[in-house]
Amino acid sequence: MTEENITNDRELDTWREQWNSVAEPPAEFQRKVQERIKRQDRRFVLGNLLSVIAFLGMLIFALFLRHRSTWMGPGWSTGVCVLVLVAAGFRINALRGTWRPQSQSTRAFVELWHKRVAARIRLLRISIYLSLGWIIFCAVLTAANWATIGQDVGAHPKSWVALLVACVLMQYPVIWYGVAWLRRRKLAELNEVTKILDEMDGKSFP
Amino acid sequence: MNYAYSVTDRSARVATTVSEHRQALEKQFARILSEYGAAISRLAFSYEAVPSVREELVQEIALAIWQALAHFRGDCSERTFVYRIAHNRGLTHVGRRRPPHQPLEDLEESEQPVDPRPHLEEQVARTDQRARLMSAIQSLPVTHRQMIVLALEGLSHAEIAEVMGITENNVAVRLTRIRKALKDALGERS
Repeated sequence: MTEENITNDRELDTWREQWNSVAEPPAEFQRKVQERIKRQDRRFVLGNLLSVIAFLGMLIFALFLRHRSTWMGPGWSTGVCVLVLVAAGFRINALRGTWRPQSQSTRAFVELWHKRVAARIRLLRISIYLSLGWIIFCAVLTAANWATIGQDVGAHPKSWVALLVACVLMQYPVIWYGVAWLRRRKLAELNEVTKILDEMDGKSFP
Repeated sequence: MNYAYSVTDRSARVATTVSEHRQALEKQFARILSEYGAAISRLAFSYEAVPSVREELVQEIALAIWQALAHFRGDCSERTFVYRIAHNRGLTHVGRRRPPHQPLEDLEESEQPVDPRPHLEEQVARTDQRARLMSAIQSLPVTHRQMIVLALEGLSHAEIAEVMGITENNVAVRLTRIRKALKDALGERS
């Protein structure tokens, strides 16, 4: 063993000694963790329950509308079903290959993380197109059924169009702002993950 | 009737097995927490300087270990498994949140009151050295931090290679460079 090696090892031992005196687990660590596990289990059950209720509710509503005499009912219910299926299809397609619950190494984990963030960004982009498509579908459906709807509401088409446009204009900035904020966050995350991957490849090594 | 009985019996048996499995997992998890709790806290130090956020991070790491424990099939040592999950969670924390860096020295000073017992100077010097080491580690790029932390925790090159998914040779080469970078960072701080 050379003198430099011995010095290096002494140095590492000194650092180890200092490092090992750094911290103890926070007070009541185990109890707090157990509480978080319970909270998470409850959230998991509640989240799944709410999703099932929402999905079933939407289907029941669509089926209920199907039996209405106008063209609006079947059109709307078909639209809801198509929207649910298309959204689920896009989601599955976009998140394909990002399901694995755990990875065998940090490198594999970071690669999977990169894939997940990129998939989320793709999904956000798709959701914008999907919401635009949905609005166009609703507009076409309303226009095609105007004879019935107009009689029901007893209003002039112009004032109805103005109201609908106002509704869309009010909703869209909120949706756009939300999506843009989420996309910005995800892009920043993607940037960080790419940086970590570069570090792992030794591209930014000192 | 017989069929109904056998279905009930089978579901009762499945429920018992599931509950036994969960109990065994809970026992294993409690043991891991008591065995590696201090190491997880140390590791969180290298990823987060703010004490309250660090405590959250420690809990999140523990939670991640709990979630992954059910999938642990023993294809690596328990130690490697725990450090891998902990570091992955630490990386996610760094990637998702970039707060303005708060120098660790300031936090350490405010956190630790001066001990009125004898050998005060020695204790102050030790605390100072410790804070400098932590601050120097925090100044390194995140993957380098991870590697030096694993080395300080006493993992062998083979174990570090397994945790990080790189070759042993690569670990040896990188560690030499990281040690030099850490030494330089410590020099700057003294």
